[in-house]
Amino acid sequence: MFWSIAWKNVWRNKLRSLLVIMAIALGVAAASYSAALMFGMATQKIKAAVSNEVSHIQLHQADFLENFEIRDSIPQPDQVGAGIAGIPGVKAVTERSVITGMTMSATSSAGIQINAINPDLEKKVTTIYTKISDSSGSYLAVGKRNQVLVSSKIAEKLKVRVKSKIILRFQSADGTIIDGAYKICGIYKTSNGIFDEMNIFINRDDLSRQLGKEAPVHEIAVLLSNNDYLEKVTGTIKKENPALSVLTWKQLQPELGMLTGLLTISLYFLLGIILAALAFGIVNTMLMVVLERVRELGMLMAVGMNKRNLFKMIMLETIFLSLTGGIVGMVISIAVTGITAHSGIDLSSFARGFESMGYDAFIYPELRPDFFIGTVVLVIFTGILSSVYPARMALKINPADAVRGE
Amino acid sequence: MEIIRLIQLHKIYDESGIPVHAVNGINLTVSEGEFTAIVGPSGSGKTTLLNLIGGLDKPTSGEIFIEGTNLSDLKPNQLIDFRLRNIGFVFQSFNLIPVLTAHENVEFIMQLQGRGREERHVRTNELLKSVGLEDKIDVRPRNLSGGQQQRVAVARALASKPRFILADEPTANLDSKSTSNLLDIMEKLNHVEHMTFIFSTHDQRVVSKAHRVITIEDGQVVSDVNQEHFVHKV
Repeated sequence: MFWSIAWKNVWRNKLRSLLVIMAIALGVAAASYSAALMFGMATQKIKAAVSNEVSHIQLHQADFLENFEIRDSIPQPDQVGAGIAGIPGVKAVTERSVITGMTMSATSSAGIQINAINPDLEKKVTTIYTKISDSSGSYLAVGKRNQVLVSSKIAEKLKVRVKSKIILRFQSADGTIIDGAYKICGIYKTSNGIFDEMNIFINRDDLSRQLGKEAPVHEIAVLLSNNDYLEKVTGTIKKENPALSVLTWKQLQPELGMLTGLLTISLYFLLGIILAALAFGIVNTMLMVVLERVRELGMLMAVGMNKRNLFKMIMLETIFLSLTGGIVGMVISIAVTGITAHSGIDLSSFARGFESMGYDAFIYPELRPDFFIGTVVLVIFTGILSSVYPARMALKINPADAVRGE
Repeated sequence: MEIIRLIQLHKIYDESGIPVHAVNGINLTVSEGEFTAIVGPSGSGKTTLLNLIGGLDKPTSGEIFIEGTNLSDLKPNQLIDFRLRNIGFVFQSFNLIPVLTAHENVEFIMQLQGRGREERHVRTNELLKSVGLEDKIDVRPRNLSGGQQQRVAVARALASKPRFILADEPTANLDSKSTSNLLDIMEKLNHVEHMTFIFSTHDQRVVSKAHRVITIEDGQVVSDVNQEHFVHKV
């Protein structure tokens, strides 16, 4: 009964209600779309990090990540890799040698991380091979010697291009300085400028030749078919390889692991501020409603509506007003997100800034159902809070005076 | 059977430090089936008296008994519930809920009482038929004339099966034809269902229909006349 009366009362003054509803709708739409943009950016960053940089899981010798010593390699890596490949949920596994060193050109030099890979296996785990544009050469080819894949940032720093020669220098386990001349086969570019500044890729066979022995494996990278398998597969790998360090992408890049959580908190904070500001408008509107209906409310109390029901009626009307605005706002944000999610939003004019933080300049906004549910809850909460003062004013009405006011 | 008894009833308002005796020592009884008009000049205390009887206001002193229940003994929520179940109200300005239809306005009172859907529906239709509005069930107040709205208000007042109905200037906003229709309906309800009506009114047409006329001046009863007999002034 009260639900029906409250809903009908919302539309007694259509213009006033529509103004309040549109104000709430715009506020909610703005916050929701901002959330969609930020979640989209976060998802892209996490996807890029997993597919280009860290994969889902990495294994190392227990001390390797502290000092990146060439001698801290994984014992029996092929056996370990084969064991991992058989775990349900694992899509692909690759082995890498990871050595810190320097690269030099005729004009410049740079400190870098040399990733010696099996090109074919690596293609199954990372998407670096897709980050080479048509005009920037090609990926490492099997059978061709002394090729190197560098990033556009490194190429720019060294002032080199495809087919240029560079020197790679690193220190072996016994302290010997080893130099190797490599020809650039391709130049890649990811959305993460920080990653690009440090990483180059060579064929592991070439490293083995330089070392005069099988190149040690420092890192085994694991790609899962779905991130939902992360905890389970990690647990299995740890159990089967207790001596190795087994880390998920969240542990390898903890700032990424926290990104979604931190974003959610800050977005709710933003939404809360917007709704708090809108609440003042809702309170004002409902106060006008109560003052306009003094006689009607007095009549209701006279004929036997108790205070609890009167309070409930006012509160329901306020919640309906708020919720209608909230739903309209979410519909608007869903529509705008739907349109822009497909085409993306081009912020390439800010590309340098985005890449320096590791973000893609092309954003695809993303809807999150849990954020919408949270928004609905917050809107209802705003309605409830906003109803308290007007409802208390209504309860103070003296029915004798109210109905007397003819 | 006596349904209302007022004993030494006083109501004093404090108007900017000056006490105003709106009701000044009234003793009164009303029996079941009465059709009573309370008349008097403006400011005589008619509406205040009605509000006190209806439990909308508290007396400064004195007692109000409705079928043996002393209203002063009731807590606020009990008083509201008592009104819901025992007293019907008809107001000068009809005071229907504008967003509800005639049917819903009448049904609303029974919903407050917690009655079942079937019972509410049947009784609402009966009541609207009894006031001659069976063809206006789904019409909202804005599409009803003043007289029709007041008839809906009467139906609403009857919906709760009250012991009596208080009507404060029920004809003040009606034309003569509507007034006549309304009074006929109220008279019929009084004759057929023995519903007790207590009016406050300036309207001579209402007074002429009343069986008992109580005249109030300055918060006191100055005469209490059974229209069929001449009774000395109090």
